[in-house]
Amino acid sequence: MSGARLTIGVVDYGAGNLASVARAITGLGHRCRVTRDTETLAAADAIVLPGVGAFPAAMASLHEHGLVDFLRQQARSGQPLIGICLGMQLLADMSLEHRLTAGLGLIPGRVRPLAGARWHIGWNTIEIDPEDALLSPSDGQSLYFNHAYAFDTPPPYCIGVSRLADAFTVAVRRGKVVGLQFHPEKSQLAGRLLLKNVIEGLCRA
Amino acid sequence: MLEKRLIGVITVKDGWAVQSIGYRRHRPLGRPEVIAENLDRWGVDEILLQCIDRDAQGGGPDLALLERLCRRGLSTPLVYAGGVRSVSDGVRAVQAGAERIGIDALLHDDPHLAAELAEPLGAQALIAVLPLSVHNGALAWLDHRSRLSTPLAPALLDVLASGAISEVLLVDWQHEGVHEGFDERLLALWPMPTQPLIAFGGLSEPSQLRGVLERPNVVAAAVGNFLNHREHAVQRLKQSLAGLPLRAATHAPLDPARAWS
Repeated sequence: MSGARLTIGVVDYGAGNLASVARAITGLGHRCRVTRDTETLAAADAIVLPGVGAFPAAMASLHEHGLVDFLRQQARSGQPLIGICLGMQLLADMSLEHRLTAGLGLIPGRVRPLAGARWHIGWNTIEIDPEDALLSPSDGQSLYFNHAYAFDTPPPYCIGVSRLADAFTVAVRRGKVVGLQFHPEKSQLAGRLLLKNVIEGLCRA
Repeated sequence: MLEKRLIGVITVKDGWAVQSIGYRRHRPLGRPEVIAENLDRWGVDEILLQCIDRDAQGGGPDLALLERLCRRGLSTPLVYAGGVRSVSDGVRAVQAGAERIGIDALLHDDPHLAAELAEPLGAQALIAVLPLSVHNGALAWLDHRSRLSTPLAPALLDVLASGAISEVLLVDWQHEGVHEGFDERLLALWPMPTQPLIAFGGLSEPSQLRGVLERPNVVAAAVGNFLNHREHAVQRLKQSLAGLPLRAATHAPLDPARAWS
């Protein structure tokens, strides 16, 4: 599939800035379908789940549009799924943001307030598990973050951390399900390269 | 390490990017899209798009401009300020392309409603935009619609203390556009020592920016007019600020696909 043009489905569920994600994907030379139509999403080479905002509202919107069971089913069937920012947190079992809310349950763990800081806003370096071929080329790069909660997940699923007072998870992976706490689409050249590696690496695997 | 940010500010009036001086005089600079593309290409850490006539007009955020910018494929985080009157305005601005929202007049009118924006968007997406000056040794907060300044309202400070808003853009409105004009007393007099602050207004020279960014609670410095005078101004400024915890200067070549779009 190297060099082949991929079709990426971006889940449109009313949460956040879909156009920037779509523009970043087309900028990599791939087709992008921004939709909530499950047939279109299922036909894509990979699904991207973006997200800006709060966890409960985003999960409510996924439920409202009948996308929760669909995303679980597609992930379990092996279709690549990439969660970005809040989209990564939605992959968790649950979140404590505002109130206890169940997530998609695709990667074990829970989302809790950041420790040692109220927010994590701005550019921070990422430390990547050298065993992870998708993300390891981006080890040490600075990427843009904008969040107040962090995804606690057991070591097998944590493939990247950043640091405030302590290290916390910023990249997760379980097979072909990948979550990125930062915004690759808003991290200039470093973000574009990382997004390209993740999308093309997952689809090629 | 979390780095401090250099923010490029685009001030928009009547749909045009303008050079703004003291919240009173405005000189046209050109199309906001072109300036945003330059800042993006030069590797600024964040772009603040402030549409200064939207609050007074009452027409809500300039969603059309946000969407036009988004279609340009900017890869730099975008903060939007101007005309946000309600929770739905804030949500629509994010859906149109902003990562974060700056709120100004709403903080005068109903600070608790401003805090309600945190429910759908999260506090990390909210910035309080506060035009300030020093009057009789104390901070005075300007309502730019009436041009009246008052002391910081207790209700505003309560909302900030609650954590519903993540950062404060502290604007030296009297010295906006004035070379080396920023009054550091605004930072010294700010009453909440742990509140993350963004300094803006009259910041032009590296030595002055260095002094501001060395303050522990200043997380970013915003520069408007002074970034528009020369090519690659962001890189030049960052190189002059070496040693501070700022992201290294970056540069993207001009995307030919954008050049004539």
